Amino acid sequence: MSKMDFHAKLAGNIFKIDNDDTEKAPAMERGFNPYVTNEGTVAAVAGKDFCKVVGDTRCSLGYTILSRDLSKITKLTDKVVVATAGMRADAIALHKVLLTRIKTYKAKFHKYPDIDVIARMLGNTLYGRRFFPYYTFNLLCGINSEGEGAIYGYDAVGSYDRVNCGAMGSGSELIVPILDNQIKDHNVLEPEAPSDTEIVENVLRDSMHAAAERDIYTGDGLEMFTIDKDGIRFEKEPLRRD
Amino acid sequence: MDFGNDLDFLDQPEFGEPDFFTKAPIELMGPTLGLDIHQNEADFEEADINEDIGEIKSEGFCFKLAPDECPSEFARSLKHLGPKLADFKHGTTTLAFEYQDGIIVAVDARATQGAFIASNKVRKVIEINEYLLGTMAGGAADCQFWERYLAMQCRIYELRNSEKISIAAASKILADICYSYRGYGLSMGTMVAGSDLKKGAQLFYVDNDATRVRGQLFSVGSGSPFAYGVLDTNYKWDLTTEEAIALGIRAISSATHKDSASGGVVRVYHVNNQGGWTKIHDQLDVNEDHYKFENSKGLRGDGKEGFGKLKL
Amino acid sequence: MWNDSNKYDRGVNTFSPEGRIFQIEYAFEAVKMAATAIGIKTEEGVILAVEKKLPSRLMDPTSVEKIMEIDYHVGCASSGIAGDAKTLADHARVETQQHKFSFNEPLKVEAVTQSIADLATHFGEGSEGMKEKPMSRPYGVSLLVAGVDEDGPQLYVTDPAGTYLKYKACAIGSAAEGAQAYIKESFKDDMTLKEAEKLSLQVLKNVMEEKIDQHNVEVASVEQTTGKFRIYTTAEVNDIIATLS
Repeated sequence: MSKMDFHAKLAGNIFKIDNDDTEKAPAMERGFNPYVTNEGTVAAVAGKDFCKVVGDTRCSLGYTILSRDLSKITKLTDKVVVATAGMRADAIALHKVLLTRIKTYKAKFHKYPDIDVIARMLGNTLYGRRFFPYYTFNLLCGINSEGEGAIYGYDAVGSYDRVNCGAMGSGSELIVPILDNQIKDHNVLEPEAPSDTEIVENVLRDSMHAAAERDIYTGDGLEMFTIDKDGIRFEKEPLRRD
Repeated sequence: MDFGNDLDFLDQPEFGEPDFFTKAPIELMGPTLGLDIHQNEADFEEADINEDIGEIKSEGFCFKLAPDECPSEFARSLKHLGPKLADFKHGTTTLAFEYQDGIIVAVDARATQGAFIASNKVRKVIEINEYLLGTMAGGAADCQFWERYLAMQCRIYELRNSEKISIAAASKILADICYSYRGYGLSMGTMVAGSDLKKGAQLFYVDNDATRVRGQLFSVGSGSPFAYGVLDTNYKWDLTTEEAIALGIRAISSATHKDSASGGVVRVYHVNNQGGWTKIHDQLDVNEDHYKFENSKGLRGDGKEGFGKLKL
Repeated sequence: MWNDSNKYDRGVNTFSPEGRIFQIEYAFEAVKMAATAIGIKTEEGVILAVEKKLPSRLMDPTSVEKIMEIDYHVGCASSGIAGDAKTLADHARVETQQHKFSFNEPLKVEAVTQSIADLATHFGEGSEGMKEKPMSRPYGVSLLVAGVDEDGPQLYVTDPAGTYLKYKACAIGSAAEGAQAYIKESFKDDMTLKEAEKLSLQVLKNVMEEKIDQHNVEVASVEQTTGKFRIYTTAEVNDIIATLS
């Protein structure tokens, strides 16, 4: 039995595909769809010399809550974390790949990669699955070699750009307007990076609470990572749990 | 690898590792270029697609395919498989035109997901290298990735031949890529604008069907009909650079006025005939521009010109 | 010199009982016959200088390419079989560009050298099903790799065995020993780039059989301030030659 057959069989068993139907079925009703969404929300703001990232800890499948305490944020180096919304299975696999690649980089070049290096690494890793994508939406957050806060936002297949702040996942439509208003300074083309950690922290906390109020996929717990020159700090607090 | 019916493979050390670059070590998830890549354009081969083991090998890359009956159909129908999975940003306006002193490239900056404005600050001009620019319409990742790859190919060409690659050859590399991945759902509509010392500034249109056309004036995206309208009316070969820049801005801002999927800011680049480009406007807020133009003609610009005037 | 060479010198994959692979040692001989190349590292940058052997005055000296750019920040000078040097340099070029593509940063000089050494040891019969067969024999060339990265200016030397070592200054090729002795005398840790330019050509002048002029030597530098590799024009080389004693 080839590996391919094995996968097909596995998929067939799980998704109960009638293989004869797949040929006739139009694209809309394809048999093999490995994608589910566990959603949840992550958000981040880059400051002058720090970066703050928040994520909720709920993991759902449809209307069912699978877990109330599943982290969406992984520490990659002492200066960089990755926050991922979307499909949990893919996110876990992706984080593993990234950690492995960073280890390989460290072994080869005797240093940890800067955030712009990891940004390209992640972009290419995602694009390597262009025809069978990871169903993940990533924010890569940390401080760069100059010590400034930096955030890179991604789509599922690896297009990326540096942003001042961003949100991904089911609550992003609720949070992005808040960040626009509070951080980006509406209608200003080159907003200054915020320097007050407390303001940023409160904005992020409030927006996550807002998302938990109005989005069924967001809630239970709130993780907050702060990245600055002293390293990464981590706090956890409750969100709505219903 | 034969897994049989037992689940021993779960215990294998490489289980869960990214085995899509099957035999390759992990660092090869990036490109692995042989020495012969594009040494000779005539050598270009079609992608080596092996659907049995689920991968495409070409250009030194190895892309994992879905373990599906028809992986190419899977890749084409991504947008039906999950929301936001492949919502390609078709809403856009990009334009470029040649004139006597080079090429003007102007783009908007909006990215939409359905009706939601995901960003108003997207960079749709990709600075491939110091003498090539590419514009972005369609799949952002496709354009970004392959134009980055093009940059690498151009640099290797330059080192090997001690001479810059011609714009024709550079755009052909991109078109060849599109050709070799045909049927797999790549989505890109790009204009390659560049300048070499032999032929001056040249403009090519390349898209995912592997169309490659040399031309003087192109516009791509949902706002392109509006941009074409402005461009065709006012375009002359012997525009001055100031006039050409103003025309580019005006065409984009008219398109952002009528097309809700285009907007944000306008970015303008000038490609000169001396082998280089300059950024003219990094971000120019244009949400009032349409009214300024109309007012300068003595019109209101809000579509209510006849307001309060008697028709009969 | 080679006592048991007739037995063991044919295969590239066979050690002699003394623990030698003769084909590799012969490759070293190819380097010892070739034109001299010199590299000098200073705090301000690295200088590469090579002698071009021109067997006939009918030959166009510009077609002899002994110094090659690998990327903006690295270059190399070769001594040995010119064709092999091109193959190794081209490999390094592809590796640096690939790294830039994958990681969005220039490749460190040591890693560039490593990639050259990797290919240098990649010879032999290869295995079945390999798409690209490796080189059937060792590469008969030594390279001086000069570059600037976050660790400052660096000079590495590779040899046909795939070894690479870091140097302050080094000479390879037919006059390596003589040149090395000259450099050892005059080299100072706090040299300026200008002094290194002059020293490198002075050494070449002393060891070259022909009279030095702007056509039979080639000079290049990587500067710390600009971080750029640059091959000197014949006019610049001429200016340096004019200052020699």
